[in-house]
Amino acid sequence: MRRRPGIAGLQNAAATRDKFRLVGENVAKVRTDVMQEQLATFRSQLEEFARKHKSDIRKNSVFRQQFHEMCAKVGVDPLASNKGVWAELLGIGDFYYELGVQIVDICIATRSHNGGLIDLLELRKLLCQKRKTDLGSLSSDDCLRAISKLKVLGSGFEVISVGKKKLVRSVPTELNKDHNGILELAQAKGYVTVEQVEKDFSWSTGRAIDALETLLKEGLAMIDDGHRDGKRRYWFPCVTLSSDASGSEAKS
Amino acid sequence: MSVGAADWLPAATVMASGRPVLSAGEIERHLLPLVDLEPEENPRLAPLRGCLLVLTSHRLVFLHEASLSARALPLASIIHTYPPHRRHNHSPLRSLFSSSSSSSSSHHPRIRIQISLPLSRSEVVAVVVTCKADVDVFYGRLLEVIRTRAWEATASAAPASGAPVAEGAAPAEEDLAIRMPVVGVAGILRKEQETWESAGQNLQDAFQDLNALMSKAKEMMELAEKMRQKLLTNSSAQSNSNDEEMGSKQDLQDLLLSVGIVSPVTKETAGALYHQQLSRQLADFVRVPVERAGGMMALVDVYCLFNRARGTELISPEDLLQACSLWEKFDVPVMLRKFDSGVKVIQTKTHSDDEVFARISSLAQKPDALLKGISPSDAAFTLGIAPALAKEHLLNAENKGLLCRDVSPDGFRFYINLFNEIDLQNIHLPKTHGLYHTWISVATAAH
Repeated sequence: MRRRPGIAGLQNAAATRDKFRLVGENVAKVRTDVMQEQLATFRSQLEEFARKHKSDIRKNSVFRQQFHEMCAKVGVDPLASNKGVWAELLGIGDFYYELGVQIVDICIATRSHNGGLIDLLELRKLLCQKRKTDLGSLSSDDCLRAISKLKVLGSGFEVISVGKKKLVRSVPTELNKDHNGILELAQAKGYVTVEQVEKDFSWSTGRAIDALETLLKEGLAMIDDGHRDGKRRYWFPCVTLSSDASGSEAKS
Repeated sequence: MSVGAADWLPAATVMASGRPVLSAGEIERHLLPLVDLEPEENPRLAPLRGCLLVLTSHRLVFLHEASLSARALPLASIIHTYPPHRRHNHSPLRSLFSSSSSSSSSHHPRIRIQISLPLSRSEVVAVVVTCKADVDVFYGRLLEVIRTRAWEATASAAPASGAPVAEGAAPAEEDLAIRMPVVGVAGILRKEQETWESAGQNLQDAFQDLNALMSKAKEMMELAEKMRQKLLTNSSAQSNSNDEEMGSKQDLQDLLLSVGIVSPVTKETAGALYHQQLSRQLADFVRVPVERAGGMMALVDVYCLFNRARGTELISPEDLLQACSLWEKFDVPVMLRKFDSGVKVIQTKTHSDDEVFARISSLAQKPDALLKGISPSDAAFTLGIAPALAKEHLLNAENKGLLCRDVSPDGFRFYINLFNEIDLQNIHLPKTHGLYHTWISVATAAH
């Protein structure tokens, strides 16, 4: 294309460029659509194969590795055993182990925004999403059973009840950084309340209560129910107040 | 008897944990403890003794565990293998030259292998299995691996791997170049379309049955990689990407951590060595994630990560625990730690008690701490760890005699232990140097 002088020439060139861009965008869009479609097929096929040919895949170690790599690349969870009669009755087979690994996986993945405390129902929902099944096929009893198989790995991973809700805690007290945040908060007044903690960190109710109760159990906190507003206060005598120096005088 | 003597075989690299380093695409197939390698005809070649034999898809690795050194026999150099037999009476020459130790091993099953070494002609060596293992199973695997010739596949794939993204499209492009030169916008569009059409066709063919998928596995892996790259770049470039796309991107990123151990130790390949080898593999694997987590990680998290890296070859929690407990016997940089609360964690040895104690005692010697002591929360803030763990560390330090505790209604406070400083000979003489002196000067200054 030869460049022609004048305003008409410039406008012409601009129009051509626009057209090229439009075609380019179109192609890109179509390409993405096609790929999405192919990716969906790819995934569903891999999922089906993982379920159907599990033992065959495991037998051939070279192919097993290739299969895993495929699954990992397109985002398919290769763990997809059906529950089966044996698992149901005796708790043997891979089903509960697989479930256990997936449960911990979800707990780790969601830890950054729930602090290692997840509602059992939400866990089940995410689990079903991962396994591509509906919520009915995976009971909370299955989850509890899978979690109980993890008991030998130490007591950090457990199911606790807060009110009516069942929560799964995946961070052991020894590694829980939530407590540091609460102690820092307590430096202002020497005490905190559940509401205050929830508001300041925008945590869910269960998370704040669990953290405070653990601190109480650890002997770091004391409770005061006698205040006029009726809200339980958690006092932290071990925390040095940021503005107050009288406590230190008495100590020395 | 060291492996180093057998310099007629190429050396193989070994991890600090005592696991052989495998090349890309190499997969472990079978392990045998306590194997000798004896040259049968050439007395100048030094034998290998008491090695762990690792049969991979590419090599026979003879690993001397005590010295952490290894020699490898590439399977490509094997010309012929003879079935295992228990008595050797085929070589009268050998019995003349052989040393005394080989006579004791004569009743052990041996597998003779004819190999071609780079510098000499062909040699005959014998793999002598001195442990009670099923030699026939090993021989079966060896034949199978040699028949598969996996080393050729990786050798041919290696040069092409420079452009992994374009690989899947390559065949289609070649076809196209012959049929129709790519000219202009229309040409580009057509090329684009045909690329994707062929990919779709490939996809359909591959997933007809398991055998089809196996034979097309390489292509499918490339296609998967291509899709992944495209999807990741696309959704990061387009800000207006829809929910579905974001969802699938999320899926991809979730599972990125699952690509890991190419050749997981299994009961099938390792046999009696299962827990020991698992333990070594775990030590290699766990070091990086634990360091990234700040030197300490709950055992449950490790269980999840390790199993994810192994794909479908899950191990049970009991196996994991046993693998961890075997670490005491090896020199590995990680250790299992059990808290009084029953919580089990894996920590790096650099994150060990000694280092923590050093930091605690320096914290307790600050002027402020000499006066008021330190509480678990103080230690938690300074050490950047959870209060419960800080308290645990403080109590441990007290057990060691580094700290003294003061129990009050306010909870525990810990002070540096000055009793160590007091000289039994003259108790009443204040010192003019050292910790005791610092403490006195700080205490008097405060009043």
